[in-house]
Amino acid sequence: MRRAVVVILALALVTCREKKPLTADLNRENKVAVRPVRLFYETPDMLLAPEIRNVALPESPNSALPVVVRELIKGPGKKETPRLFPADTIVRAAYLLPDGTVIVDLGGPTITTGWGTGSHQELMAVYSVVETATSNFADARRVRFLVNGGPAETLAGHISLARSLPPMPSLVDRRVAP
Amino acid sequence: MKRFALLGFFVVLAVASIVLAQSPAQATLRLPSGDRSVSYVQQSGQTFFAANDVIPALGGTITPDSTGYKVTINNATAAFGPDSRFGVVRDELIEMPVPPLSIDGKPYVPWQFFQGLLAKAANLDVQFDAATHVLLVRPQQQNIVGVQVSIANVQGISKIVFTLTGPAEYSIIKDPGGYVVRFKTPLRAPFPEQTYDDPYVARVQFTGSDVRIQLTGTDIAGDAYQLDTPPRIVIDLHKVAAPAPGEQRPIIGIKPTDQPGIRTIVLDPGHGGKDVGAIGPNGLMEKDATMSLCRKLAASLSAKLGARVVLTRNEDAVVSLDQRTAIANQYKADLFLSVHMNAAVAPRPKGSETYFLSLEASDELAKKAAEVENASHAANPSSDLNLILWDLAQQDYVRESSRFAQAIQEEMNSATGVQNRGVKQAPFKVLVGATMPAALVEVAFITNPEEEAKIQSDEFQSQMVDALTRAVQRYKTDYETRIGIAQPPAAPAPAQVAPPATTTAAPAPAPARSGT
Repeated sequence: MRRAVVVILALALVTCREKKPLTADLNRENKVAVRPVRLFYETPDMLLAPEIRNVALPESPNSALPVVVRELIKGPGKKETPRLFPADTIVRAAYLLPDGTVIVDLGGPTITTGWGTGSHQELMAVYSVVETATSNFADARRVRFLVNGGPAETLAGHISLARSLPPMPSLVDRRVAP
Repeated sequence: MKRFALLGFFVVLAVASIVLAQSPAQATLRLPSGDRSVSYVQQSGQTFFAANDVIPALGGTITPDSTGYKVTINNATAAFGPDSRFGVVRDELIEMPVPPLSIDGKPYVPWQFFQGLLAKAANLDVQFDAATHVLLVRPQQQNIVGVQVSIANVQGISKIVFTLTGPAEYSIIKDPGGYVVRFKTPLRAPFPEQTYDDPYVARVQFTGSDVRIQLTGTDIAGDAYQLDTPPRIVIDLHKVAAPAPGEQRPIIGIKPTDQPGIRTIVLDPGHGGKDVGAIGPNGLMEKDATMSLCRKLAASLSAKLGARVVLTRNEDAVVSLDQRTAIANQYKADLFLSVHMNAAVAPRPKGSETYFLSLEASDELAKKAAEVENASHAANPSSDLNLILWDLAQQDYVRESSRFAQAIQEEMNSATGVQNRGVKQAPFKVLVGATMPAALVEVAFITNPEEEAKIQSDEFQSQMVDALTRAVQRYKTDYETRIGIAQPPAAPAPAQVAPPATTTAAPAPAPARSGT
């Protein structure tokens, strides 16, 4: 009987140990490399234009997307360029679906409790994400926003998030972003 | 030793339960054409079906790619990803309780994915019977009418709107404590019962084919009428003298008459209540600035144009964006103007700008879609086009909205010397459902200290009210001339409102204003 118990416990231990060991080099496994990305921020002419930033990115679009969107939300590199999202905004998730829809799930205290801003800033913020996602990922065609994991009417009471948003070229400064 | 044996037993049991939970079993997919056997698993209280079994059985295809799976069914494209509890079909979200699973490299999706997919792509109902392990797919029961309820109190009238998914016969009966709307068809109720913080409506309750409206008092009477496209039943409740004991207060059926021209204007003071909007550097709140301006503009439009003017709010209260548009539709407004103050992070931006709804006409993707539509519309009206185009009420009025927006912007520029920021398009939520020409004006930047001070001055407000009144008058004359109910002024030459350069629309003949 004792032998049987020992065999059962040994089997259980072996089963546990057969799990694939965690890789010591996630960067290599995900083919992470520093790549230039286009992050869209507001210009003095109140349009959007890209800032080129080198970011360590995984090769897979679905792994790279949240990294790029989080980099965007961090804010612009230049102090004189206005930050578009509240500083406490978090990117809960960002991923690409096979039909070209990018899902971006935002959260954070300000967006959750009520972001009191005007149409212009909200328009710039929303489309900075749309332009950034569709400009950096060839298969991305439009962005569907979620807030705290679910559908939301707007981020700040103006721009409808009821549908996926494709890029809006009229908001992009073509002199800066050909 | 017994303790060790017991421990070992539980370890084996736990391992076995994990293995068994991941092992697919067979369920029945019941289609109108017959039964099929499909694989499913149950995990964490959810039931997942093998997409590779179900989709082909429904006549669709499923294709993997690096980000998930693409599904084509009934000329509709859908997609889902491995870690997302949201899929999409025709640009609409399919919400699942949990993300799909991958078992032996095959995708297993919660059964609710098929429910969302087939409802939107094939007009089919999907139900799962956990007791019999049957996934039932059947045609949607067309005779069931879906109902949505909205209630708004504006200017002393509580307006209840029942929006129906299809035409339905009904009667309205006075009931102790309220009214009952009795339908002759089964209903799909949005909720069993809901209470309201409304002066006249205490509760709405669905029981079978009855909708019971419980009022807050006996001194309330109602006027009811019906609107089409979509079918709606509207009941306006208002205060009357208290009835004598035993007196019945009948509902009087009225239907607004359709008269051509610009007669009713709905003004929408942006934000309100706890939604304060943007705040200026010296503390001016957008909700207060818009309310003040709209009250003055309403008085001006009534006095100078003889128009019936309705405010979506006339107090410091939260009104949802949908309600604001619904109020305009319910009053059968001929024009809708939402008034806002703009905001930017930097203090420097200034000026006014006017928006009308973007239907993505300027987008390259939409242009391609339009080309596809033009080429294939006759051959295949149910093509993939719905991925791009928005089924919005406002889309029939975009050309007129652009003329209206242009008139506003030009008059504001000429009157105030405020920096011209131009007419723009954007997908504004408050404009989406409006069934009339609609625009949103950003009067000035409340975040600019100079403009914040101007917004509060009587002189600036008066200038803006005059400019906006002239813009409405100008659009009214232009529109009524084009539909032939007004003569253009003899001299000086009438100021024709030209469509703005931001639209691709050609100058349009006056559209037939479809009934709301």
